[in-house]
Amino acid sequence: MILYILSIFLMLLVAPILLSYIKALKMVLLFKKPISLLQGYRTVAKLLRKETLLSKEASGVTRYAPFLVLSPLLVTLFFLPPVVQGAYYVSFVDAFTLTGLISLSTFFLMLLGLDSASAFGGIGSSREAFISALVEPAMVLTVFAVSMMAQDLGVGQAGVNLASSFPKMHMASFLFAAISFFILLLAENGRIPIDNPETHLELTMVHEAMTLDLSGVYLAMIESASAIKFLIFASLFASLFMPFGYNNAPPIAVIIFVCKLFAVATAVALIEVNTAKLRLFKVPNLLGIAIVFAFLSLITFYLLGA
Amino acid sequence: MVDFLMGLFLASLIVALFTTRLYRLLNWYAFNSMTLGLLALLIGTRLDDDAMLITGALTILLKAGVIPLFLKSISRRFRFIRQIQPEIKVHYAIILVPAILVFTFYLSEPITHMITHNSNYVAISISSLFLSLLLMMEHKNIAPKIIGFLSMENALFLLGITATDGMPMLVELGIFFDLLMAIVVINLLFHREQEEGA
Repeated sequence: MILYILSIFLMLLVAPILLSYIKALKMVLLFKKPISLLQGYRTVAKLLRKETLLSKEASGVTRYAPFLVLSPLLVTLFFLPPVVQGAYYVSFVDAFTLTGLISLSTFFLMLLGLDSASAFGGIGSSREAFISALVEPAMVLTVFAVSMMAQDLGVGQAGVNLASSFPKMHMASFLFAAISFFILLLAENGRIPIDNPETHLELTMVHEAMTLDLSGVYLAMIESASAIKFLIFASLFASLFMPFGYNNAPPIAVIIFVCKLFAVATAVALIEVNTAKLRLFKVPNLLGIAIVFAFLSLITFYLLGA
Repeated sequence: MVDFLMGLFLASLIVALFTTRLYRLLNWYAFNSMTLGLLALLIGTRLDDDAMLITGALTILLKAGVIPLFLKSISRRFRFIRQIQPEIKVHYAIILVPAILVFTFYLSEPITHMITHNSNYVAISISSLFLSLLLMMEHKNIAPKIIGFLSMENALFLLGITATDGMPMLVELGIFFDLLMAIVVINLLFHREQEEGA
């Protein structure tokens, strides 16, 4: 139980560093002077000190929605596969629960965007609804495919099973699921081929548009929510699709896990530097490829057993 | 490991189906051939078959190196259109590709009973054959059609190395020379077309 709580604490600590790491790596690759890895903490600390202003049109939704954006993601953290051997984990939570919790958070984020009654918020919310509607089926399919290969529907138990006995004969369908999940990771976190997290141009922004009218504590909560969301996806990718290092002694296992998280972040940063943002109406094509790969992984598993 | 490379082979072919740029399509073809060559090397070492090792090395050298670079250079020389929008819309292709895969997986079911080991690889190579046919169908321009033809050849080669435990060396080398001749003929065709156009 102590290991369980400590690992969740560790994940919370790593979450802001990961996003700052992506930004810093991108700046290095673009020959800029990189920001510090602790920039995420600094931003949150600065926002907490600032005054919280609300839009004149804002109703009660703006006051409680940031909490409801953050809390499902915090709950999801408790359901992730364990980091070290011998740690407590929740074994019965399946793909539907995880997807549902994440989309609950997205739902309140969209509500928040609509509530400020600015035109940008509405645009951002409609785009987010469009993207997340396409992400969900692929996400359920992918996590189910992996759970099938691990022979347990619970995601936590699946992570443990994969780490202890890796299904070598299902390598092909495993690879398809990994490709699909990586595309979903980019889409759900608003990384570059789908959405540019750094721009404030009205034509391109999705996630930023919904949070334009927030300030102070509420903005800090939304920022940390997006950091935690990236962490959830990265750690799911690390424990489901890179299932090695789990059987070592706890300190080494933790170090390997954190290295895997940074490896995922590096991959995301390299993709962000090398690709241009897609047009919004091209996004379904990319997510369609994710759905094809998720489906392919399931049928390869069932029909061929490969 | 063979399963992993097999997955990469099929995955690169599927991604190639959705590509809209010519050079990226060439890169995917090169990657596809690279996994094929590695597969041949791997199965060759497992079967202890020298002929398959040679063909694997030749595949990597020719199909992953020379042919894509050559196609790139002729596409530059003859100013091919580099934006290759598929004729079949992506929305339909998303339905079509899994349908083809399911169909071919069921289609190859009776064949897989006849083969003792590597049986599901036959299914994957037949499905990649159909997918490369789709790649030829969905483009109007000549350059992606050539790539479709070449990846069809890749799929047949995969069928050869997985289903037969190694074809005779002569057949494999013959296929290579056929392929090189096809490329030369394509090049000549373009020359001819340019002269007539001018």
